[in-house]
Formats: sequence, C-alpha cells, structure tokens
Amino acid sequence: MNKLQGNVIAKLCAWAVLLAAAFGAGIFGVRAMLSFGSVADDSWQNSSRYYNAVNERRRELVEGIKLSQQLEQLERQMEEGTASPLAYADAEALREERAKVEEQFSRQNTWFRFRVLTDNGQTLLGTNLNDDEAMIRAVQNVHYFSFELWEGDIYGNASYYDPETGEGYSDPPTAGLNPETEAAPLKLVLEYGVPEKIDDSIQDEFSQIWSMWNMDRAAFDQYLTGFLSLGALILLALVWVLWTAGHRAGAEGTVTTWQERIFFDLYAAVMIASEVCLAACFIWTAEQLYWGAANVYSIPNQDFNGFYKLGVMGAGAFFAAGVGCAALLLRTLAVRLKAGCLGKTTLLCRVVTWMVKTIHDFLRFLPFTWKLVLGFGAYVVFSFWLIAVGRYDGVFMLMYFCLQLVLLLFLSWWAYGYHRLRQGTKTIAKGDLEYQIDTRRMPYDLRLQAEDLNNISAGLSAAVDEKMKSERFKAELITNVSHDLKTPLTSIINYVNLLKSTDQTDPKAAEYIEVLDRKSQRLKKLTEDLVEASKASTGVLSVAREKIGMAQLIDQATAEWEERLTQQRLTLVTTLPEGETWVYADGRHLWRVIDNLLSNCAKYAMEGTRVYLDLERGKGQVALSVKNISREPLNVPAERLMERFVRGEESRSTEGSGLGLSIARSLTELQGGSFDLAVDGDLFKAIVTLPQAN
Amino acid sequence: MYTILICDDDRDIVSALDIYLTSEGYQTIKAFNGKEAIRAAETHEIHLILMDIMMPELDGIRATAKLREGSNVPIILLTAKSEDTDKILGLNIGADDYITKPFNPLEVIARVKSQLRRYTSLGGAEKGPGLLSAGPIAMDDGAKVVTVDGEPISLTPIEYNILKLLLSHPGQVFSSAQIYEQVWNDPAYGSENTVAVHIRHLREKIEINPAEPRYLKVVWGLGYKIEKGA
Repeated sequence: MNKLQGNVIAKLCAWAVLLAAAFGAGIFGVRAMLSFGSVADDSWQNSSRYYNAVNERRRELVEGIKLSQQLEQLERQMEEGTASPLAYADAEALREERAKVEEQFSRQNTWFRFRVLTDNGQTLLGTNLNDDEAMIRAVQNVHYFSFELWEGDIYGNASYYDPETGEGYSDPPTAGLNPETEAAPLKLVLEYGVPEKIDDSIQDEFSQIWSMWNMDRAAFDQYLTGFLSLGALILLALVWVLWTAGHRAGAEGTVTTWQERIFFDLYAAVMIASEVCLAACFIWTAEQLYWGAANVYSIPNQDFNGFYKLGVMGAGAFFAAGVGCAALLLRTLAVRLKAGCLGKTTLLCRVVTWMVKTIHDFLRFLPFTWKLVLGFGAYVVFSFWLIAVGRYDGVFMLMYFCLQLVLLLFLSWWAYGYHRLRQGTKTIAKGDLEYQIDTRRMPYDLRLQAEDLNNISAGLSAAVDEKMKSERFKAELITNVSHDLKTPLTSIINYVNLLKSTDQTDPKAAEYIEVLDRKSQRLKKLTEDLVEASKASTGVLSVAREKIGMAQLIDQATAEWEERLTQQRLTLVTTLPEGETWVYADGRHLWRVIDNLLSNCAKYAMEGTRVYLDLERGKGQVALSVKNISREPLNVPAERLMERFVRGEESRSTEGSGLGLSIARSLTELQGGSFDLAVDGDLFKAIVTLPQAN
Repeated sequence: MYTILICDDDRDIVSALDIYLTSEGYQTIKAFNGKEAIRAAETHEIHLILMDIMMPELDGIRATAKLREGSNVPIILLTAKSEDTDKILGLNIGADDYITKPFNPLEVIARVKSQLRRYTSLGGAEKGPGLLSAGPIAMDDGAKVVTVDGEPISLTPIEYNILKLLLSHPGQVFSSAQIYEQVWNDPAYGSENTVAVHIRHLREKIEINPAEPRYLKVVWGLGYKIEKGA
C-alpha cells in the first residue's frame, strides 16, 4: 500500500491522465455547450442565430428598398431634367446594386421569403413568393416590420407577430425623429420569414443554421457522454492524486513540498482567481465559437474550420488548466490535512490563534488580584449595560438569568476545585504522601497550587522512602553483622565452658575463666539486644495487636522478676485498679518493654529500696509507671537516657547493654503507645502509655 | 550407644559439640555441609542429627527436607537466625527441635537426651483414661505421676493440679484468675498473682530452657497454655 502511494511514476501518470481527461472533457464540454441550444428548442428557428440572420436579411432588404426608392427618385429627376449632369452614372451604379440585391433575394439563392406592402396592406410592392403561395403557409414564423420611407432615409419600428400564439410586440414610432419635410413619408409594411422545412438544395445562411442545428442535435448526446465519462475519469485521477499526495517512497509520514510552505489562504486566493479567469476565458471562447459558427457565411469556409478547431482546442486547454488548478489546490489541502498543518499554514488561522493565545496568556498570567478585579469589573459593566438597554421584557429576563447562571457555574467550578484541593491537602497532611491531587479541569490558579502541593508531596515521599530504605539497610546490616558475630561467639562460649570443666592447677586460671565466661555471656546478650533494637527502631518487626489484660501481664511479669528483685533486696509494690484493664497491644512486645524496665530496676536500683509498679487508666489511655531509686546519681537528662548505649552511670562497670530503654521506647511506639522518662534527683520514673481497649 | 551426626560448617563448633557429646557417652560422626550429612546418614546408622542452617553447598533446611524423605531420625537445628519465621520454617520442614546460637552446651545435651528418649521409647506413653500427655510430658492421673521424657519429676499438689488443668485442654489459654478458680476452687479476689509464681516453678521443672519454653507457654497479657500437638 505504502509502496503504491509513494510511487512517482504512478503519480505522474495520474497527473497526465487528469490533464488529458480534463482537456478532452473541455473539448466535449464546449461542444456540448454549443449544441445545447439546438437540443433545448423544438424548432431551429427559435435560436438567436436564426433571429440574427433574419434581422440581417431584413436590414439588407430595407437597404435594397431604399436603393430602389433612390433610383426611382433619380429617374424621375432625370425625366424632369432637374438631375445633375452626371446622374446617369449614379443611376447605373444604383441599378447594379439593386440587381445584386434582387439576385441575393431571389428564390434560387435563398430560403428567405418576403412581401413588401403599403401600410394599408392593399398594394403589393414586391415579393419573392410564387403567385399561388400565401405568406402564412410558406414560412414557419411571419415577422412584420413597418417603416417609413422619406427621401433618402428610413425610420421604422420593428413589429413582431407570431401567428401561432398570437403574441407580438410593437414599438411605437420614435417621436420627434421626423424632420420637417414637405414630402409626406411613404409608409410600408414588410412581411418576411423562412420556411420550417429547408434542405441543402439552396446554400445560404439559413441552410447553414439548419444543418448545424441538425448536426448539433445529432451530436449532443455523444458530446455529453464523452464529457461525463471523461469527467468520471478526472474524478478517478483526482482521487488517486489526493490519495497519494504527501507520500514519498522511502519517507515516513507525510512529505510536504514548497507548495505547503505558502500560506493556504494566499494559495487558495491565487488559485481561485486563476479559476475565475480561466472560466471567463472558456465561456468567452465558447461564445465566440457559437457566433462564429452562426456567421459562418460571411467568412470563407476553410479559414473558419481552422479557427473553429483552434477555438475548441483552446476551450479544452482552458478547461484543463482550470481542472489542473483545482487539483493543485485540493492536493495541497489534502497534504496539509494529512500532515495536520492546515491551521499552521493558514495565515488567517495563524493570526487568529496568535491573538487568542496572546489574550489568553495575558489573562492567565495576570496576577490573581487583577483577575478578580477585571472579572468583577466585566460582570458589573455587563450588568449595567443590561439594565441600561434592557426593556424589562422576556428577553431581558432571559439574559439576566443567563448571566447569573454563568456566574453561578463559574463560582461552582471554583468551589469544586477548591474542595478537591482541600481534600487532597488533608489527605497529604494525614501522611499519605503518595496521594496526587487530580488537577484536571481545575481553574488555572488552583491548578498551580495543586501542582505545587503534588510536587512537595512527591519530594517528601521520596525523602521518606529514602530514609526508610537507609534505615532498613542499617537494620539488615546490623542483623547480618550480629549473625556473623554469633558463630565465633558460640565457639567462645562452648570452649570457655569446656575450660571450666577442666582442672586448673593455677587458682588464678579459674578466676580468669570466670571473667571470660561472664563477658562472653554479656557479648551474647549485647548482640541479641543490638538486633532487637535495630529491628524495633526501623519498624521491620511485625506487630500483631490484640486485646490483652494489663493486670494479667503485670502479674506474669512480676512472677518472672520477683525472685531476682528479692535477691537484690528490692521490694516490688504493685498498684492496680479494680478489675482487668484491657489494652490493644502485641503481648510479646509489651512483655519485652516491661521485662526491660524491670531488668533496669534489678541492675540499677539501690539495694533495699522499693520499686513501684502503678497502673492507671482514664480518658481512653492506660498508663503503666515504673519508679525506683537509682543506685548511682543520675546526672544525665531523661531524654539522653533513651538514646542507644547510654546508661545512668558512665563507668559502664555494670552489666547491661545500654539498649534496654531504647528498645522499650521503640517497641512501645510500634504498638501505638508513648514512652516517657522522668528523672527527679535519684528518682527514676518510666511511663508507658497505651490506648485502652473496651 | 547412640550415634549422633554433627553437621556445621564451623569446625570449632563441631569439635566442641563432639567433646561434649563424647563425654556424655555418645558416638559422633562429623559432617561440614548438607551433602556430607546426607552421605553420612546413608552410610551409618544415625540416631540423632544436629544440623546447622547456614552452610555452603547445601543448607540445613534443604538437607533436613531431603533426609525427611526417607527417615524419621530426630533432627535438631542449630541456628544463628533468631527470627521466628526461621524457626517455624525449620519445624515445618520436619525438624524436631531447634537451638539458637550462641547456645549453652548444657542445653544442647539436655535437648539431645530428650529427643533420644522420645525417639527410642517407641511411641511413648499410651493413651488411656487418666493418661494425659503433651510432647514429652506425660501424666498418669491414677498414679499421680508426671514424667518428662520418661523421667519422673516431683510436683507440689498445686503445680500438679495446674498442669492437669492445662494438659486436659491443650492449646486453650487460661488466665490466672481462671486457673485460680479451678485449682483453688475459690473465687479469685486479686489473690491470683500466686498462680504466676507457681507456673514459673512448674516451667522450671518441665522445660529444658525455662526462658524459652517449648511446651508450657506464657501468653503475655492473656494467660498460659500447653502447646497443642507439641
């Protein structure tokens, strides 16, 4: 398909066919046009050619009558002896001329029939009819012409009478044209016409017109058929030309030429002007040919045939040129449409687009305040204009109603856009950073706002993702490192154990082994805590929150720790509210929180003191507080105590990883609770707050 | 004389375990990756396998799955991975128990003994009226005797009654108050905190590692239960 469209030879052929067909169609067309008149009329005598010819004959006849009048006058003068000395020569010349006219009008030479009568119709002055012929039967249409004959001049009025329909017209004699003369004018009536049935036996213009009429009637159908079939061929070639327009072999898409670089409206104007000129030329040629053929008797035949053929060819050429121009115009239109650049290459369209864009941009980039002022100004002006010119009838009410409706729609559009913006902002503010506000069909100013917000949320979301990724990476790193630490640690613990079971001769060795044992156990605890702390703080731990009883949990935790606390001579004082207190939490994680807090007490509380464990509930919250007196002075702010690897005393001589509080806080927050520390002198207080469950 | 296959890519750990187990009177075979373990299991009569998870060539999980295709020898996984999902995966694939690294050699020996006793006692305690059991724990209510892996343990009457309550409803969680009401036959008025202490003592008697109980589990914030199907 593409190959066919891009084929240059096929294109050239199509153009050649188009132009050739147009040339042929032009020839057929002009011939059909020329012969159309003959087909349209029933009688060959209805054509203007006939009228022209018959009028010409009448003029010649009148000239002839005038000649014979002049001759009579001259002969009379000669008889009277008043003529000039050379009148005889004049008379001879006049006689010759009259003979020529008589020859011309004889029945042997023409189909023209006439009678000359006095105006009362009584006296027949001359005719070429046979004696037994009546005028009305001899010819198809009888024409009448009355005229006045003065000495040497004729004033006449044409009168026409159609005996078949009874119609006719008569021009009144032109008043004032009669000069004052002593001789009374001779009033004459001329009757004339041509028989309907004539043939080639007598060669004159009428036989010519008649034979052309017959030929035209015979040939019109052929001309029309030729014109129509060639017209179809033109259309076919045109379709091909348009279909292949803009395609070139080996080129993707639509190829434009220099023609498409001319503005379309200019191109079209030139082409249409050419079309008009060519059409005028065509019609002018056709007219020339029509009349030329009618007046053929006045031109030698051979010359006219050449002229006629040339004229017909010329008309065909004009037609072909016209079709070619139209095809060029359509071709460039098709190419522009295919390339989608009709608007761009039209000057008018460009100008209008530029103007619209300029105004649009001006309004769009106008500061918002100015927009508001201008918009309101326009509204007020329009309202005032409406009120000022209004006639307070139905139309006014309708226009006023429309104005208000437009205003309402505009405000609703704004309000809806604002609503969407507000909803989106709310969603983003709630923490859904992935949310993108839909900015379609939003007012321009709101859209700018929404797009900025979307950009902010996208940037923020990327930052948060980045942070989460790095935290996760950190947690993974810690998990992997501690895993790698565990394997050698296993060996250390096992071989220390083996050493312990062997007999040592040096008593100090047993002591050293004891240190190794203790420290390896601590290392074990440290690696475990490290993994847990990193997991808890990065949130990779799974949290299964369910309804659990705080009293039950404290009860269980106390049972686990009571013995060890007692060893440290610590007394645990538990205060619980009546009945069970339910919270939403993950039991294992919450146990780790309490476990860490009680473990802290066991490690850092001053011996012989009391540890208070209080549970309170209210306002949908449950607060568990653990209070103890520190053994060492707590010279560290509460916030710092929760940081990783920070312990109340700086010497780090005691057991513990320093991760306990950090883990406890992370785990509490994972479960949707809050973890607070308070230090008041040596009093250490940790508060775990969780949402209460019903 | 039982033969134990020790499989770990760390030779020092294998040697240490070898020393402990040999001193307990077991015969040992060493393997350093999953493939060697499978080959050793095919050529020797093995009564128990200690298997590391992270090993080159064939890891412990795949090796366990492969061994389970034709043998029901007890397998204890040694794992440095402490995530719950790893343990669950190991147990689901057919391992009988697991020990997390770094382990206490005494715990290893205790678990080895427990598994061997269960493996060799062919079905363990019979089911019957007054006979309750869960995993290695068996209770003969008629004789008022509780054994763990066949070893009788001594319990106080309260501990005995608590265990009986839990054993007769495996998998069910009992809160301290419920246990108190059922065992003491008294309404619980805040005096149930003694239950937790009793259960801790009970756990110490039953479990190899009371901090990481396998059978008598603490459901934090809700109560206690005997693991179903353990």
